[in-house]
Order: sequence, then C-alpha cells, then structure tokens
Amino acid sequence: MRASIYYARYWRLYAMLVLPVLYFVIFKYGPMYGVQIAFKDFNFFQGIHGSEWIGLEAFREVFNNQEFYKTLRNTLMLNGLDLVISFPAPIILAIMLYELNINWFKRISQTILYIPHFISWVIIGGIVMQVFGTQSGMINNVLNGLGLDSIPFLTDKNSWLATYLATGVWQSAGWGTILYLAALTGINRELFEAAEIDGANRFRRIWHVSIPGIRMTIVTLLIIQLGNMISIGFERPYVIGNLAVRDFSDVLSTFVYRIGIESGQYTIATVVGLFQAVIGLIFLLAANTIAKKLNGEGII
Amino acid sequence: MRFSFGLLMKFGLLRHLISLILGFIAENKFIVSKRCQQAYCDYPQRLMPTGDDTNTGECNAMEKQKSKIKSYGKLLIPMTLSMSLLLSACSGSGSPSEASQPEGASGGSGERVTLKLEVFDRGNAPSGMTISNNYLTNYVQDNFGTPNNIDMEFYPVPRSEETAKLNILMASANDVPDIVFTYDSGTFYRYASQGGLTEVGELLDEYGPNLKAFLGEDALAYGQIDGEQLAIPGRRLVLGKYASYVRQDWLDKLGLPVPTTTEQLYDTLVAFKEQDPGETGGRVIPLGMSVAPAQLDSLLWSFVEPISDEERITRTQKLGSSDYPVLLPGYKEGLRFLNKLYHEGLISKDFALDEDKKLLWQDVQNGLVGAYSEDAGELLFEYNGTYKNLQANSPGAVMTPIDPYVNAEGLSAKPGYAPNAMFIMIPKSSKRAVEAIKYLDWMASEDHLFFMQNGVEGENYTLVDGIPVANADASQDIKDRLYNYGDMAIIVNGKYMGDDEKNAEAYIRQVPEVYHDMMRTSVEISDTNKSAPIIMPVPIEAESRYGSALRAKLNEIIVKLTMSSPDTFDTTYDSLMNEYMAGGGQAILDERTKVYEDMMK
Repeated sequence: MRASIYYARYWRLYAMLVLPVLYFVIFKYGPMYGVQIAFKDFNFFQGIHGSEWIGLEAFREVFNNQEFYKTLRNTLMLNGLDLVISFPAPIILAIMLYELNINWFKRISQTILYIPHFISWVIIGGIVMQVFGTQSGMINNVLNGLGLDSIPFLTDKNSWLATYLATGVWQSAGWGTILYLAALTGINRELFEAAEIDGANRFRRIWHVSIPGIRMTIVTLLIIQLGNMISIGFERPYVIGNLAVRDFSDVLSTFVYRIGIESGQYTIATVVGLFQAVIGLIFLLAANTIAKKLNGEGII
Repeated sequence: MRFSFGLLMKFGLLRHLISLILGFIAENKFIVSKRCQQAYCDYPQRLMPTGDDTNTGECNAMEKQKSKIKSYGKLLIPMTLSMSLLLSACSGSGSPSEASQPEGASGGSGERVTLKLEVFDRGNAPSGMTISNNYLTNYVQDNFGTPNNIDMEFYPVPRSEETAKLNILMASANDVPDIVFTYDSGTFYRYASQGGLTEVGELLDEYGPNLKAFLGEDALAYGQIDGEQLAIPGRRLVLGKYASYVRQDWLDKLGLPVPTTTEQLYDTLVAFKEQDPGETGGRVIPLGMSVAPAQLDSLLWSFVEPISDEERITRTQKLGSSDYPVLLPGYKEGLRFLNKLYHEGLISKDFALDEDKKLLWQDVQNGLVGAYSEDAGELLFEYNGTYKNLQANSPGAVMTPIDPYVNAEGLSAKPGYAPNAMFIMIPKSSKRAVEAIKYLDWMASEDHLFFMQNGVEGENYTLVDGIPVANADASQDIKDRLYNYGDMAIIVNGKYMGDDEKNAEAYIRQVPEVYHDMMRTSVEISDTNKSAPIIMPVPIEAESRYGSALRAKLNEIIVKLTMSSPDTFDTTYDSLMNEYMAGGGQAILDERTKVYEDMMK
C-alpha cells in the first residue's frame, strides 16, 4: 500500500530516468557485445558470432608489438604533461576572472576565452601550421626577418611537445573555467569579507578562501582526468602531429585507427581498446581511493 | 560545493541528451536494418505486403525511402509503421526458408530490383547536384536501370577514407552495396581470403562478354586468386606515373642548361638557392618536396642499383597498392641524398608536414619552387590549376618537363602503373551479382562509356581527328554534367577511345590546348624507363596484414632520415630499419622469398 502511494507520487521521476538509462543500455552496454572480438579471429563476413575463438593469441601479438609500447608511453606522457600544464590552467584563469570587478570586461574576456573550444581540431591544425611552420610559418618569418634562426616548432620532438601542450591550453582552458567559476560563485561572500576585515590581502584571500572553496570541484575533475589517463582523443595528436615527431605524437588512438580501421585488423584494435578500458578503470579507482584518504570523500 | 555538482550533472546530462538525439538519428537506420537482417530482407523487390509474406514486405518498406512507401497509398503508411514496430520487437527470428534465395535469380521479368553501387565522394558536387543524384546517375538510371527494371542506388564513400569506410561497410554485412571497389590490393586480398567475395568467372562468361573483351586477359589476371575470379580489375590506359619540372625562366636568367642528370640537377638547385633568380627574398625552395610518392619516388628509385630479378622480386615490398624498393641496395643512398638536400636548405623545412601536397602546390603557385617531381602533367589539369596560377602570380614563369634522375646505368628508372585500375568486387552477401555484372557489361558495350566520359557531342565536345575535345566555351551547366565521370566510369582509368594511340592522345587533350605540347612531353617522360609493378602468383598475406602500418612507418623513416644529422644518419638508419623489419618487413621478405622459391621449383 505504501509502495503504491510512493510510486503514484514519484513515478514521474522514474520516468525521467528512462531516457538516460536507455542511452546507457543502447550505446554503452550494447556495444560491449563486441568486446568478444578481442578473443576471436574476426572475419568481416562471418560477423562477430561466426568468427573463430582464438583465446589470448591477439593479446600476445599486441604485447609483443614495439609500436604498442611506444604509443602507450606517448599516451601516458602526453596525458601526464596535460595534467601538469593544462589542468591547473582553467583554475588559475577562473580565479583571475572571479577577481575582476568590472562586469562588462569580465563578460567579454570570458566569451573570448570560450571561443577556441568551438573550433574543430582540423581547423586548429591548419592554423597551427600557418603560425608555427618552419619554412613559411608566421612566427618564424618574423624571427627570420629579425635575423634570427627558425625554431622547428612542429618538426623537432621537444618543441613539438611545447606546441602540442600550448595548443591544448589555448583550446580548452577558457571552457574549463565554467565549472570553477560556478563553484566560486557558490562560496559564501561573507567569508571573503571576514578575511578582508582580518587584514588578508588579495593573495591570502585566494589562498585561504577561494581555493579551499573549490577544492571538491578540483578533486572531482582531477579524478575524472586521471581516469582518462590511458585514453586520449584522436583528433588532437592526429592533427597536430606529423611524421617527423611520430616518436611522440603516435598514441594509442592513432595506433588503433591505423591498425584497426585502416588495416582492417579489428581484433587487434579491440584488444587495445579493452586494455585501455581495464587500465582506465584501475586508474579511476586508485585515484578515487587516494582522494578519499586525502579528503575524506571521493566521488564514487 | 553542491552547486558545482548540480552544474556538473547538468552539463553531463545535456551532453548525453544531445548525443542521444544525434546518435538516435544516425543509428536509427542501423537498428532497424539489423532487425531485418537476412531473414526478412531477401525480397527487396516486393514492397507490397501480400498474403503470408507480410513480414517481408514490412521490413523492406522500412529500408526503402519513404517516398516509395508513399506511392503505395496513404493507407499503407500507418499499417506499415505499426507492423514494423511489432517486428522490431520480435527481432531476428523468422522462418529460415525465407532466407535462402538463389543468388541473382531475378531479372527483367516484372519484378523491380535495386542495385546498390558504391561511388567515390570527393565533396565537389556542383550546386544543384549531389553525388548520388546527378546527370550521370540519371543517365545510368534511364539507359540501364529503367529498361532492365532496376533501381540504381548510389552509395557515397568519401574518397579520402575509402578503405576505412569500406571495411566498416563490409563488416555491416546487410548494408553493403552490390558493387564495391578499392585501389588497395591488400584490402582486396583480405576480403578474398576471408571468403567475402562472389566468384564472378562464370557470371562474366554468361553476362559479361563485352566487359571481358574490353578488359582483356591482362587486366583480368589481377583479379584472380588461385584461379578464381574474385574481383574485376578496371583497365588502366595510361601507365606512366611521374615526370619532373624545372623553372625554365630561372635557368635562362642564370644561363644554365636544362639538367639531364642528378648531379646537374643538384648544381642547378644550389645555383637557385644562392642566386635566387626568382627574387623571392630568400624564401626560395629550390626543390619542391612532400611526403607523397609523386615527389619522392622519381628521386629514390634512381638510386636503386641494378640487380638480379630474384633480388628484385623478393626484396621489393608492396605496401598498399604500390611497390617500394625499401630493401633494395641503393635505396639508403637515395635517402642520404635527400638528407644532404635538406641540410643544405635545398628542400622545404616543412616537407614533413605535407602529406597531401597542398603546401607544395601553394609554394609552386607562389613562384617559390625551382624544380619538382609530380604526377605527369598534374599541374596542367584544370582542376589542379597549379601552372595557370603560377603564371598568373609570376608573369613570365615557364616550366619545362625534365627527366633528370638517372641511375648507375644512366637510365632514368622510375615506377609505372600496372595495367589494372580499381578492384571492382561483388560481396558474397549480395543478391544482385547478375545485375551487377550486367551493369558493368552495359558500361563496356556500345558507346555508353564514351558518353559517360565525354558527354553530348556538340555541347560537351567536338570531334577532332576522331578524338573528342572538350568545348572550352561550354556553359558551366554543361561542363558540370561530367564533373565526376572518372568516378562513375569505374571499369576504366583514363579516357577510352578504342586504341592505345588514341587513348594517349585523348589523355593529352584533357588539358587546355595551350599546354598540349608540354603534356605530351610529360607523358613521354613518365613512360621512359618505367618499370611495371611485380605480380606475385599468389597474394602475399603479410602484405595485406602489415601493408598500411608499414606504409606509415616508411614515411616516418624517410622523414626522420632526411632530417637527422648527417653524422648520425647511419645509426638512425639501422635502428629505424630494425623497427621496420620487426613491424612486418621481415615477414613480407620471408613470404616473398618462399613464394619465389616455390615458383622456381
């Protein structure tokens, strides 16, 4: 009896859940059927069901492949550097924006900062080439004009790394501020006033009020980021990367594309995908545990 | 804190919702057709449900365009929809008897069938046309489809990701077109070895006499594996690949001769660099370079030392659709020469970024490039426009076709094409193999191919010496008719005129008239000392397995060795080649050696 009243009152809430649950079932759980390709000698024409089981043979092949280790290393390296360089960028930016008192200026800067987020990587790739090219790039033309030597921004491994990271910050930092700004707005104004009365200068206020106030948001996003350590977007390394820096720019996603989609070796591609998923899960759980120990609360 | 979480949720949810909606639109077709897999969809010719065939009819109705359903009366729509909803609930199961329809057992007798054809989409459809609905598709429908009671449906595949998209199509099994094609022999071999292709030998005998005669045994041999005709290779008419070009006005200005050897070319490049005859203000690029075979191959092949047939056959590596002399003696010296050119500033510092030649073309058009190798005559074609733009940008600019890269024997050795073009394949799942062969045969018969390539006499072209010359002053509408004739006339690569001489002449006359002489020289150069690709009696499995990956690896090797410091060239070469061999190069070498030995027995 009680239950029926409960459902009669709240069924709408459950109904609202149907769509997202359906989404997960169809697009997240459904494709898991295909995971078995990793253990099969996938044949295009016999389909997943008809292909022969091969056990762990494909895993052996992947783990014996030098390219795999190179791309794995690069994935971790690029993501690790992104974590160090690109992760703090929106936090700093958000705090700076929050400290601005002139409203129209704040809004204009925010909009300008968001814009790169909406530019596709293919276009960014074109811009990067025009700006950073060694032979005819804008910056190097200026350097040459001043009688300085060209800097191989795109064709030397280490300079490329800097270009890659800088492009990432430029593209995503502005957009990333949204969450932090929202969190900052949620901090009680009285805390700032109290700190001011106690004689705290601007930096002290940021250090003792702003940052602790958004700590949970930072930790949450950090955990999400850590969970994604092993997976890397395809577009950015593929578009910004080039043959001269493949030692650094070749990552798991481009590897999967080349082996799986271009060479039609779906089994190998699935093995790598499954490997990524498992390692990603381990990273996520580990990060969550650490966060719990540090903060007393995690997100899972 | 709580606020931030709420926001996070909102953003997450919003994104999920959007992707859900988009995903649903995109996947909808997939889900429905998946349900109808095999069991129901073997009678696409029948749209009207009759009697106990109801299920079949419904399923197909969902697969066809809505416009077709409409024509069967408004009453049918709600019926059809509700039935298919029911159907999608009872997925997959169906009486097995419906699933087996003898292959290709249909035809002109009253039943209308659909023939689905792949077509390359280069994203260049003129306004008012689409890749699947244009002048030529209508011509095909009106002259082949309608008389034979066949609906022609064109399935666009983006040219740039042809193999990737085709792999996905083939894996989907129920959505795959009846005619697919690829230039990549590795892909063809893979499909063949997985048993996914229809054997067309008998069908060709029965339904394709014109096609057989047109293609000839030479080309057809490329589509045979162990005696089975699993693909129909198109016929390639122009077999030369590359020519090189030099700025004649720069040579004249410096009083230099036209370079005829690699050394002379090198001296010329140095002179271009030092004296900058084009007054580019130091931005001169003496030798235009990219990471495309058109720029690299003429140079690299000329360094290969004369060798025995055995070595040539076993140590050549076929990656994708071309042969690469990676392991042949001398190739390394070719790379060393590139390294020298790079470090002396004779090629662009950005050549490694240029995989699609766009940067190179831009530099040539801006009058920065002194010499370069290219697909013969590429710069003269109207669609490319490089030469025209160069002359517009730098008045007085003149290019001369040259053939400067000579090997140890003094010959300008370079690769050429095999006499086959695309591998046209009919997937095994196709029920329209007969119609597919009929279509290709139709294209090869009478003047259909001629019309598809040349259009209407008097409007698109006028006959001069029996060769159609495009009317330069034809209106854009008329020119646009043929904008994708190359991709529609799949059985041939090049304009077919009847005999070799006329074919070559027609090829030359494709460029604007002022360039005819230059084009003729270019074609002659590309034909000089060219070597046809090696045909192996059986497909090399390792090549179809590692080909694409090694192709990328080879490009990396070329770039890295070119840019490495000359002191570390040899050690870099060794370590990179080790990676290459470990990544499949050795497997290919072993397999080719074995096949060669078997062949000699």
